[in-house]
Amino acid sequence: MKTTLTTCPWCGTGCNFYLFTDERGQLSGVEPAAGHPVSRGQLCLKGWNAHAFVAHPERLTVPLYRRQGELVPCDWNSALDLLHERLSAIAERHGPDSLMFLASAKASNEENFLLMKLARAGFGTNNIDHCARLCHSSTVFGLAETLGSGAMTNSLDCFEQTDLVLVIGSNTTEQHPLIGSRILQAKQRGADLIVIDSRTIRLARHADLHLRPRNGTDVALLCGIMRQILADGLEDRDFIAARCENFAAFETSLRDCTPERVAAITGEPEEQLVAAARRFARAEKAMIVFAMGITQHSHGVDNVRALSNLALLTGNLGRPGTGINPLRGQNNVQGACDMGALPDVYSGYQKVSDPAVRKKFAAAWGVDLPEQPGLMATHAMEAAAEGRIRGMLIMGENPLLSEANQGLIRQALQKLEFLAVIDIFPTETAQLADLVLPAACYAERDGSYTSTERRVQRGRKAIEPPGEARADWQILRALLGRCGLQADDTGPEQTMMEISTLTPSYAGISYPRLEGAGLQWPCPEAEHPGTPILHVENCSRGKARFSPVTYRPSAEVPDTDYPFLLNTGRTGVHWHTGSMTRRSHLLDREEREPYVEIHPQDAARHQLKERQPLQISSRRGSIEALARITDRVPAGQLFIPFHFVEGAANALTNNALDPESGIPEFKVCAVRLQPC
Amino acid sequence: MLKQLAEKDLLRLLERIATRRRLLTPQRQSDGSRLLLPWPGGLPELVGTPLQRKPTEIFFPQLELLMELDNSGDVRLPVPADKPVALLGLDHFDLAAIAFLDRFFLSRPTDDAYLRRRHDALLVGLSGLAGPQGATLPPAETCDLELILVPDKLLARPHAKLGEELLAGFTAADPTALRAIDRSPAERPATLLAAARLLQEDQVPEAFWEEIAARCIACGGCNFACPTCNCFGVQDRTFGNRTERSRLWDSCQLDAFMREAGGHNPLGTETLRTRRRVYHKLVADPLRWGELGCVACGRCDRACPTGIGMLALCEDLVRR
Amino acid sequence: MTIPASLYAPRPCRLLETSDLTPQEKLFRLQLADDTSLGHQPGQFIQLSLPGLTEAPISIASSPTRGPVFELGVRRAGRLTSALHQLAPGATIGIRGPFGRPFQLDALRSGPLLLIAGGCGLAPLRSLIQYCQDRPEEFGAVHILYGARSPADLMFKDDLAVWQRSDRLDCRTTVDRTPAASCYDGDTGLLPELLSRLDFDPTDCRAVLVGPPPMYRPVIAELRRLGLDGDRRIMLSLERQMRCGVGKCGHCSIEHLSCCSDGPVFWLEEVENLRGAL
Repeated sequence: MKTTLTTCPWCGTGCNFYLFTDERGQLSGVEPAAGHPVSRGQLCLKGWNAHAFVAHPERLTVPLYRRQGELVPCDWNSALDLLHERLSAIAERHGPDSLMFLASAKASNEENFLLMKLARAGFGTNNIDHCARLCHSSTVFGLAETLGSGAMTNSLDCFEQTDLVLVIGSNTTEQHPLIGSRILQAKQRGADLIVIDSRTIRLARHADLHLRPRNGTDVALLCGIMRQILADGLEDRDFIAARCENFAAFETSLRDCTPERVAAITGEPEEQLVAAARRFARAEKAMIVFAMGITQHSHGVDNVRALSNLALLTGNLGRPGTGINPLRGQNNVQGACDMGALPDVYSGYQKVSDPAVRKKFAAAWGVDLPEQPGLMATHAMEAAAEGRIRGMLIMGENPLLSEANQGLIRQALQKLEFLAVIDIFPTETAQLADLVLPAACYAERDGSYTSTERRVQRGRKAIEPPGEARADWQILRALLGRCGLQADDTGPEQTMMEISTLTPSYAGISYPRLEGAGLQWPCPEAEHPGTPILHVENCSRGKARFSPVTYRPSAEVPDTDYPFLLNTGRTGVHWHTGSMTRRSHLLDREEREPYVEIHPQDAARHQLKERQPLQISSRRGSIEALARITDRVPAGQLFIPFHFVEGAANALTNNALDPESGIPEFKVCAVRLQPC
Repeated sequence: MLKQLAEKDLLRLLERIATRRRLLTPQRQSDGSRLLLPWPGGLPELVGTPLQRKPTEIFFPQLELLMELDNSGDVRLPVPADKPVALLGLDHFDLAAIAFLDRFFLSRPTDDAYLRRRHDALLVGLSGLAGPQGATLPPAETCDLELILVPDKLLARPHAKLGEELLAGFTAADPTALRAIDRSPAERPATLLAAARLLQEDQVPEAFWEEIAARCIACGGCNFACPTCNCFGVQDRTFGNRTERSRLWDSCQLDAFMREAGGHNPLGTETLRTRRRVYHKLVADPLRWGELGCVACGRCDRACPTGIGMLALCEDLVRR
Repeated sequence: MTIPASLYAPRPCRLLETSDLTPQEKLFRLQLADDTSLGHQPGQFIQLSLPGLTEAPISIASSPTRGPVFELGVRRAGRLTSALHQLAPGATIGIRGPFGRPFQLDALRSGPLLLIAGGCGLAPLRSLIQYCQDRPEEFGAVHILYGARSPADLMFKDDLAVWQRSDRLDCRTTVDRTPAASCYDGDTGLLPELLSRLDFDPTDCRAVLVGPPPMYRPVIAELRRLGLDGDRRIMLSLERQMRCGVGKCGHCSIEHLSCCSDGPVFWLEEVENLRGAL
């Protein structure tokens, strides 16, 4: 029996827990770390069950390659040779930019760094991206423009100091339960809570104000709120004058956002808007918390700009208990972005288009590096469907279920000349692959992960991987070697040294310093204590920039043929495409079937019964799910979680992309329903 | 007879225990919490915050193999460990919880899986000045032997034959040494008892449960942290012809806990589930076992992210 | 050390025969692999085990008076019962049990009996009906009242026909609705209506109820109106998601009772005031 302290593999909160290993060498349980500043002896249901999927019989244990249509076992050397040869051959024939690499927000910083290096230095392409494209690419783009850094500005401890929390487009108690609970506790101790969400999520039941704008109208609503703040003279003039630029243009841009007009667009009564504006602006310290409800729109970046404007207008930046706080979804989606698993930046958001940066990395790696930014994951799928991307390596992602418009994604993946997948389970995407490499899961490998509050923390190996499965970093190191790149680093600790050498915001980070509660970046020197709050004196870009925005409707709104608005997302018990949680007994038992939330009025109009099987169709596909009649959704809206392959919400969703961030519009499309 | 243990005596005692048993002792972890783990030699971390992991998990683990089945219907039960276990450093809450689970699992029909781990286990209690920041822990007597920390001394007192045997040969202590600390027995907090009474008299309005339930994020932590929670689920995992049937901690705070295959659910709302969590400990357990199911160890309060653990909830209930 | 026999290890059983009862329900005839008797009493249940799918509680639908072969009438509801429906004779199935408190036969012997079932509640009640059939001298008049949603949903149609022909039994059925082209010749309507038209002597009469949760309260109200008032007059069998069968796992608790070991058969007054029982 032994215990291993590690970082939770689910959401981006960054809880730590002890894994218990039994006499058989298998995981037997989880205990929250009492002394850790994030978990504080607490976990959510998924955390308490984080050991449950690890020993599942469907774990991949040997490399598999496709022979006469079937995936059959092979040895590691052949598998790695095959992968290297096929990708090299494609690159040689069609150019390196005919390859695409998908990194993983479930893999460690070191692994994302190594894959980034493999794509850029090994194969000569900047075509690398990962699922941040689908979740917070709008944030990274929007906040980089307005503040100079795309990360959460403040820390989780700030919930204990704030006077008001504005939660918009985040079902926090289900998706970041230990953050949601801090918001509930803040409310209990007397802080105000404003929730803006079309669904009556748990936080909405506790809110002082719950605004339910139509999905896709947040820009209008936020501009209306900001115009009202200005009309009431509640803006923070000193902060604007001292810290911001472009205020005049911004102020002008709000002229038309009158309460009447905004009410007409959003469906939210004028009084609510006015009340929200006054309550928010009068708070001494207010935190804005947001997630996918803001980012996953064809105007996701504009949504983020609007939130940034709201924080600047009221001076809620750079102080404890304030800030613009995007909640990052995956345990290492912040880290995967930090490590440059993005098409336009190296680690630490250093631009590939900057010759000096390129020169630094080229010198370190001893190769020439490509200049053109690469393809975003969503664009790469379109390119694959058109035959412009021919080879793909996917590490720990399941785009067949997670990306919008499944029909297009399936077509793209099937059209590839060569698809390799590194994963722990035979996911739906892996079923389409030509080569499948078995990976170690979080409990079977060392590494570091960066949480939503930029806290870099250790993940520690508790047990051996099953069969011949290997850690992603071992696989990537072997591939780097085959590409002729230096691959003599002995493990993640050495990789972190390389990262810190090349990445200013991680320069002071090393494994010995990560013992304990980790470090929050920027951590520029070996003695630096880390940075709990960003933009304290100045913003990363200098002055904060007001960025005027104009409301644009969603790409596809309900009409007579497709009369319902479809909203998609997650439940509290499942993780994304369910490959782990649907293999965890208690979590699987809790939600085992695809379902669709429908308002009682709509159910009555269509004479539907609870749990009745329904067919839901959009212009792109059709699925079946069981009716769940609830007033959590407003009338006219359906909500379907995307975890279930047998009722895949993303067969319906619209791959209309934000022009700047490339994020699909997961939160709005038009559907119709009929009983099965 | 009361004994006195110098450091070297304590080490000798531990060695004595470890010859016949797998000795688990409290060890401090990097985050400051203490966990019961195989004794690595040396002095155990006796003083500090309560053991983070409930020690009842040694006998009723979070996940435990019940049997292996094969497709022909053959059943293979797990082989018991070659040595029984010894748990050292249990405070009176831990011992009360073990006594509760013993009665639950060992009353007829006897739960063989629990017994396989519990049989012949040695329990070493801990009391005296071993609490956080030197706070006094009340007597811990439902064990084989009790370690009692008094100023500048460690005392040991046997409570069973096995304890006496293990303490044989150590120096006798002056019984007055115990007077240096408060030895009043542990009592359950008054609010817990008052809340139990209100519940037993059916005086808790539905609105109370609704309000508490609205704050519950269904993490299950109250159940998983509770040393007397005994509900379990069963899972099968099939590897070729062989199926591992295991049991695992379950949580009555989950919607599917009582949901039937046909969809009917006697605990189908969060309000019903919240009420059940408290009612079960404070009303059902006394009716069934003559004793509250809550030993007031505070683990659920510490594990609850939204502040509605048992003691917080009872305080709220009584205050209203 | 002596560890008692495992509470949780299933015993192998042979599946002898299966037949369709309704579109959703099948009858399974089973025998323990060692050919011994199950040793059950009417009203008890077993835990049926399939490797990979854990277990499900199933009431025993046949009487112990019928020898070592026993029968289960199982609705296809979840994963295990769906897999069970796919099994062919000759298959090995694991069982544990019998479990639970049976129907209190001693208390049922004094006067006329009303045996009332709704839906698949007829399965456990059939065990008692068969027992009454086989030991006619021990019981008074037996009235069987069975309600289902539609004629197609009536379980054990062959048995119903036999019971209806028997002069020792009075067997009536009712359905919620009758399709236009049905040759069904029983009643239509809810069980309380059928009950209200029944001619019986309530003195010393006992009623036994088994059915879906919504059935209990209206039927109990009607029984009381008809004179079945006071203690030990109405016995019911409750359905819960029993997992261990021995009062340990907690999945079937009703306040302080365990449905699997304190029940599933209760006198009404034992559970009527327990929240969530009915």
